[in-house]
Amino acid sequence: MMRTTCPYCGVGCQVEPEIQGNRILQVLAPDIPPNHGALCVKGRFGLDFPFSGKRLLYPMVRERKGAPLRRATWEEALDFAARRLLEVLGRRGPEALAVFPSAKTTNEEVYLAQKLARVLLGTNHVDHCARLCHSSSTAALNRSLGGASMTNPLEDIWKTDLFLVVGSNTTETHPVIGAMIKKRVRQGAQMIVVDPRYTGMAEASTLWLRVRPGTDLFLLNAIARFILEEGLWDRAYVEARTEGFAEWRASLEAYTLEEAERLTGVEKEKIALAARLYATTERAGAYWAMGVTQHTKGTATAQALVNLALLTGKVGKEGAGLNPLRGQNNVQGAGDMGALPDVLPGYWKVADQEAIRRFEALWATPLNPDPGLRMTEVYEAIPEVEAIYLIGEDPVTSEPHQDHLKAKLERLPFLIVQDILENETTPFADVVLPAASFLEKDGTFTNTDRRVQRVRLLLDPPGEVRPDWWITQELGRRLAQALGRPWKVYEGPEGIWEEIRQALPEMMGGINYPRLEREGVRWPCPSEEHPGEAVLFRERFNTPSGKARFFPVHFTSPAETPSEAYPLTLSTGRVLFHWHGGTLSRNSRLQEAYPELKVEVNPKDAQRLGLTDGEPVYVVSRRGRIRAKAWVTDRTPEGVVYAPFHFAEAPANRLTLDALDPISRIPEYKVSAVRLEKVD
Amino acid sequence: MRLRVNGKEVEARPGALLLEVAEVPTLCHHPHTETRGLCRLCLVEADGRLVPACATEAREGMEVRTETEGLRTLRKTLLEWLALTTDLAQAPDLLALMERYGAEPERWGEVPRRRGREVLKDNPFYLRDYAKCVNCRRCVDACGDGIMGVYALTLEGRGLLAHPTTPLDRPLPETPCVFCGNCVQVCPTGALRPLSLEVG
Repeated sequence: MMRTTCPYCGVGCQVEPEIQGNRILQVLAPDIPPNHGALCVKGRFGLDFPFSGKRLLYPMVRERKGAPLRRATWEEALDFAARRLLEVLGRRGPEALAVFPSAKTTNEEVYLAQKLARVLLGTNHVDHCARLCHSSSTAALNRSLGGASMTNPLEDIWKTDLFLVVGSNTTETHPVIGAMIKKRVRQGAQMIVVDPRYTGMAEASTLWLRVRPGTDLFLLNAIARFILEEGLWDRAYVEARTEGFAEWRASLEAYTLEEAERLTGVEKEKIALAARLYATTERAGAYWAMGVTQHTKGTATAQALVNLALLTGKVGKEGAGLNPLRGQNNVQGAGDMGALPDVLPGYWKVADQEAIRRFEALWATPLNPDPGLRMTEVYEAIPEVEAIYLIGEDPVTSEPHQDHLKAKLERLPFLIVQDILENETTPFADVVLPAASFLEKDGTFTNTDRRVQRVRLLLDPPGEVRPDWWITQELGRRLAQALGRPWKVYEGPEGIWEEIRQALPEMMGGINYPRLEREGVRWPCPSEEHPGEAVLFRERFNTPSGKARFFPVHFTSPAETPSEAYPLTLSTGRVLFHWHGGTLSRNSRLQEAYPELKVEVNPKDAQRLGLTDGEPVYVVSRRGRIRAKAWVTDRTPEGVVYAPFHFAEAPANRLTLDALDPISRIPEYKVSAVRLEKVD
Repeated sequence: MRLRVNGKEVEARPGALLLEVAEVPTLCHHPHTETRGLCRLCLVEADGRLVPACATEAREGMEVRTETEGLRTLRKTLLEWLALTTDLAQAPDLLALMERYGAEPERWGEVPRRRGREVLKDNPFYLRDYAKCVNCRRCVDACGDGIMGVYALTLEGRGLLAHPTTPLDRPLPETPCVFCGNCVQVCPTGALRPLSLEVG
């Protein structure tokens, strides 16, 4: 079958690329979930990056710092990598090593990479890029509900009567979901959009709340307070299914509509209307993304949404729920597979006795019970951390405060880069391991609504390229041999999936490859007869008490606020035509449609600076400057400039600051202070 | 609910379209664009009246005939005129239907043809070759109410001059087009094609 799963975003669209020689003739979409024949520009026209001239085609090693990368055989490169890792492990212990599995790779590959870290290196310094996108959501959802994913399936969009969309530019970043929601709105559903920018969703909304950047939390708390004041909350639900209500309620005292209007810039009548609509519409679903999470109060803001949904009894019901739209194709899967410093596969806490028993039995090796460092903390910990095994990621483009990150990488004694394409991080590598793209291997991705879907080998890998699972397995084999530890070797991805089923029978037990032939299956799916759970938490939450918990959260200012020298707020994000660090999309046909960085500047700010549309401009923060083309538009509000971070030659993350959320350790990508300078 | 199709009794759920219970050729109909009732290829005889199967709900006791002599002649004529006015070289499904209904376009002699149109290539992703367009409207509906809600395509003109295009005939990059290509996927005649299919 020529069918596979789109490698871009978390929607997980099913695609049927028609490949001839070294090009893709066309991409069609089958009429099955989740996309039912629809695609966006990335899935339709952007799948040709595997044919890019920037493919890494053979292994390379750098014998010592300062020497150039030279071509090596697989034997050489893997031996070298294993030797260096063992040397650090022997000299400094497990705490000096970190492994970053990739949310772009398959479940099987993520599982194997975190297993390598835990079983062979004994480290829990394991993390993936969700640290930079939805770690705030997963932190809030985990502690309140005991589960970190969308609570409702995408099909529920057709049953939803009110959408509360907060900080999600859905039509550009999850376009097929955006189109579904917009169609439901055309059928008569209402949509409240909370966003500083006039996005496609704001345009399609029935009520747009244009908050000032970073004030969503205040707005959400004020909505909750007003719902309580008006008596519109679901008392029966709160009493039967939640705990911590009284303490949380008391924490809302300061969040009046008047204060909310002053702080967020949204008229209090609109806030009251939004509150009434959300509280009184039974099938009201909350959807959110980076506008909520990428703040120093990201966890608190996601929590405010969780609290609001619990107050109005929206969780565990059809057409409603709490729905974080996950970014990467397999970011849900990467979390599920345990690419996190505090949990094993299946979200079993590393310190949990039952978890330790279960996985020590399965892996036949003692496990480290101490949670590891998170991704942003690992980079900070260089050179205490001496070696990083980095898979499918370009931190130089995606981490904040680029100059600082580069300085850290320069001081890192040993870096393994395993990737499909050359990117900004490749030059820092001591070993380069060339990996197969999504077209060149088998496996599974798990999409944003927990659907496990097949990835199929449709094309032989070029050069000496090998799939990630093979590379990790071979590296593991060498480490295991030297350490005298167990390491199971598999023929292929299906064998690895069978081990995952064995590890997580409650979650994945009913999902096997033959079943996935026709279409994807959602977890939890405990048996082969089980259809896969659509709506989570219908009866009980996945907490020890079975109840969901309110947590009081308070508004704090962003880490960096505008000043005289830096009077504007910079918000970073994405555009329809590109993907994150640009490694994929900028090496595809998409590049032609959107070749360079454009920053959105409000016409009033442009006028003050004498800036015209299309004119080059410098964007300058305390950490650096980049050159861009000005796009003068009222999509962005006065005082706010918006820059996508896809462009390595003009990296928005040179400007952002590395202030982190205290709980999730996510960087504050959505707020930093900048000024614009004319280019003369 | 029960009704009869070509003399055979069939079962239908309430609200089902005749299309779901009777096998008839279609052109404009598409489940996701929700286009219906334009091409007339799916006309059937229901209780003696001619109705489009894609836009008519089944009713209890209905007597449906799908292949009467009259219907066959109508489909044959419709297909012949499509073939006379448009380039169907990349519409294999329509060519198969012409075969099935014994279409002989040449029997009409010279007819006024659709205005010749040049292939439009105004973006990096797909081309518009309206000489191949049969005005089924699927692309317009995929872009608009049916799927995307973007409305970058519209139907302009009347009669033989009718054709889909962008508002004010603007190049696609100057419209709200998001280049999802869903119009390309639903196009039945190759009037919209990915550039990647072009050789060279």
